[in-house]
Amino acid sequence: MTANVVGMLRPRGAGGRGPDGPGAPRGGGEDPRSYRDRVEAALAAGRRFAGLHVGAGGDVVRTLLVAPDGTAELIGTSVDDGAVPSIVDLVPAATWDEREAWDRFGIAFDGHHPLRPLLDHSGSVSWTVPVLGADVYQVAVGPIHAGVIESGHFRFHLVGDRILQVDARLFYKHRGLEPAAENEPFDVGLAHAGRACAACTVSNSVAYATAWEQILGLVPTPGLARARTVLLELERVWSHLNDIAAICAGVGLAAGNARFADLTDRARRLNALLSGHRFAFGSVRIGRSEIEADTETVDGIRDGLIRIQEEFTRSWRELVFNPSFTDRMPGVGVVDAAQAVLLGTTGPAARAAGLAEDVRAASPGLSYPGFEAVVPTRADGDVRARFEQRSLELEQSFGLLLGLLDGPLESALAEPGAPSRQIGIGLVESPRGRTSCVVERAGARAAGSDGSRERSRDGSRDDEHRIARWRLRTGSYANWPSVAFAAAGNLLPDFPLINKSFELCYSCVDR
Amino acid sequence: MFTLLRDLRRIRRGLDLPGPARGGSLAVRHVDAGSCNGCEHELTLTSAPAYDLQRFGIGVVASPRHADVLFVTGAVTNRMREPLLTAYAAMPEPRRVAAVGDCALGCGVLGSASELAGPVEDLLPVDLRLPGCPPDPAAIAAALLTLIGQ
Repeated sequence: MTANVVGMLRPRGAGGRGPDGPGAPRGGGEDPRSYRDRVEAALAAGRRFAGLHVGAGGDVVRTLLVAPDGTAELIGTSVDDGAVPSIVDLVPAATWDEREAWDRFGIAFDGHHPLRPLLDHSGSVSWTVPVLGADVYQVAVGPIHAGVIESGHFRFHLVGDRILQVDARLFYKHRGLEPAAENEPFDVGLAHAGRACAACTVSNSVAYATAWEQILGLVPTPGLARARTVLLELERVWSHLNDIAAICAGVGLAAGNARFADLTDRARRLNALLSGHRFAFGSVRIGRSEIEADTETVDGIRDGLIRIQEEFTRSWRELVFNPSFTDRMPGVGVVDAAQAVLLGTTGPAARAAGLAEDVRAASPGLSYPGFEAVVPTRADGDVRARFEQRSLELEQSFGLLLGLLDGPLESALAEPGAPSRQIGIGLVESPRGRTSCVVERAGARAAGSDGSRERSRDGSRDDEHRIARWRLRTGSYANWPSVAFAAAGNLLPDFPLINKSFELCYSCVDR
Repeated sequence: MFTLLRDLRRIRRGLDLPGPARGGSLAVRHVDAGSCNGCEHELTLTSAPAYDLQRFGIGVVASPRHADVLFVTGAVTNRMREPLLTAYAAMPEPRRVAAVGDCALGCGVLGSASELAGPVEDLLPVDLRLPGCPPDPAAIAAALLTLIGQ
């Protein structure tokens, strides 16, 4: 079924498209004819796909591309008769984004067919990829899983124990967080970004706050950068410790699981010491930080961190010299570097495949001087590499935090220092990879794909701090297709291990 | 392995946990009905050494068929309504429902009303209410202990 046929089955995107309506093309910057060429050129120049969203009027689709130096670029195309050209052949990483745009806004993507439903659970088009042949059978798992796991459905296509294909059907937890905050003041969106996911709450909040600071022309002061970096790295520490515990559970090593669960708990207590909350909910603000900690508190967190680091190092050695544990990992669930580029794999999973990419290396609004991405010596892109990557990154985060936790933390501000914009882009390296948050403010319409500012037509300033459209694309969202890819060809009993080696969230995907 | 086990024993000795329960147990089936993953992360840690709920005969079981209590987290999305009701219907009597976390209790829920079917109380008879965003592992442990013997 082609995208155009699918298009007839569904209502088209909202918004009029008269010559003066919101759908009027706005110059060559959003010309559908050159859209694919512009995306292709950016990819050829080494930029990475980082998300695709539908603009506030429903009349423009924008692709976010990020350069290694952190430069973010939005490449737009106006929606023509409910459709835009697909880019999935240029960058398969855009697959989920295009499917989501179709499900949520009814925008068809010419060339993307079949355009399978992703978020829409009621669609008439099959969401699974048919797998046919002798002895092929399906195993359906979820949405409720056997352990303490978020809700989501996996459809395995198997012969015996061998996985031929996995289709993940997520979005059971879809709460409609993004539309709920549209037309609301910017701090309402911050609450929604923060509660999208407990495991990535700091990362998502910083991405959202950064987007708004761009819109408002604010630049974080060193004090604000420091406070945010401490929160982000504390989140990474507990998260990576939790991932190691989860990998131990995936192999069935109860002692390792218990040991790292204890370290995870203690790392979360450090969060509570600093912010008053074990996940640091509510600790990130737009344009400022209200985290205050005197020298004694900071030293207490520092001492706690040093103890966690010592015990982590000792316990890690125990794990890597335990052959019944380590033998489960090599060659399992492989995503190599070339595949990672195509799939848009990001974060520890991409670095474990040898891609030395990390948003932290180019985060001027945060405190990462001289930061360089690390990759494991055996960057095989398998479970072992992802497991070892967590250790490398933990050591890096311990080092960063011990440097940052020096002296009291005081409340800090972002200061005017940049031109204000219509669209803001926040990029953060979450524990699971590159998280992007694009915010389009209400009021003045975007003048072009660069998001440069234009005054609203009636000159009113009421809308200046309201959200017209926002989209949060987390590291988990980027990486779920890689989990399915990595699982194919492996044994069904290894799926929990492969899954845990990515340890992605569902809630910030489903939103 | 020796060091791992020794460390775990040391952690255990350093804690002032109440002694193991004498008799009684509780089989818990968790259903995430649309949470932010915070309640899940904290529930997971109730089996960590500092809380160690297994000592009291409390364990998470794989099927609602084996469960005494349905441990529901999240605001209950439309998409999780049916799976939640199906899990409850599969439980043997007597059965209990714990609504855990502010979202499950309908407090401060974020999202679009058109996507939400909760709170849990609107769908199931709730026996245990545990507020918190999220409740920490100690609070979850204490609340589950009150269900033993009920």
